[in-house]
Amino acid sequence: MNGKKSFGGGGGRGKTSSNQQGKDGQRRPMFRRRKVCKFCSDKIDDINYKDVRMLMPFVPERAKVLPRRISGTCALHQRKLRTAIMRARQLALIPYTTE
Amino acid sequence: MNRKYELVYVVSPEASDDQVAELHSQVDAIVQRMNGQIEKTDNWGRRKLAYEIGRHKEGTYVLEVINGGGDLMKEIDRRLKVIDLVIRHLVVRVDEEQGVVDRTRANRTENSRRRRVARGLPADRQPGEGQRGEVDDDRDDRFDLGEELR
Repeated sequence: MNGKKSFGGGGGRGKTSSNQQGKDGQRRPMFRRRKVCKFCSDKIDDINYKDVRMLMPFVPERAKVLPRRISGTCALHQRKLRTAIMRARQLALIPYTTE
Repeated sequence: MNRKYELVYVVSPEASDDQVAELHSQVDAIVQRMNGQIEKTDNWGRRKLAYEIGRHKEGTYVLEVINGGGDLMKEIDRRLKVIDLVIRHLVVRVDEEQGVVDRTRANRTENSRRRRVARGLPADRQPGEGQRGEVDDDRDDRFDLGEELR
């Protein structure tokens, strides 16, 4: 990351630290917590299309699928999440888009 | 060949309870005829659709868990497509997925038990045993997913 050592976990997002702080150095460099997959940490094995309450946080405002880069979901669970969301959309449990 | 399927269908809001029940018995009849069985039926009742389908804004959701072969589901799928009262339906095969879930779950408990025994603890977690202390200080995470996003 910019050839600089990232702070702590750094994790996930491309831009960290250095370019975020002002010249005066008053603000501490942006610290990003290492994001972890919600499904791994909560030990949710079964990502089900019927459980709308669980899926909703992963389809913000425009009803698009929240990218991994932001949610921190691991590849395996993102894949399962995507199928679940697509199924829920077919059944009109989740919108395809919002106007 | 026995597989497990989930069938969800959305019935038009104009349909009366009798008509919904009638639909269920129709599905049941097909299942019976083709040597399947209905494991579970769950009526979610009327709920708002996320988007309009045709001119409908809400619908009655019914879930059926069915044991049977692929040709049975094909037949049900075909029949549901024809019935106008059903505005949307979805058939999903669940047995394989369920097997994977059960296996990972079993693996995990087994692993944790083994590790706990290796550490000289009783195999099962005791009530009131604390862990994962770092969860609480997660709240200032900017991309933390939570209710506020909704």
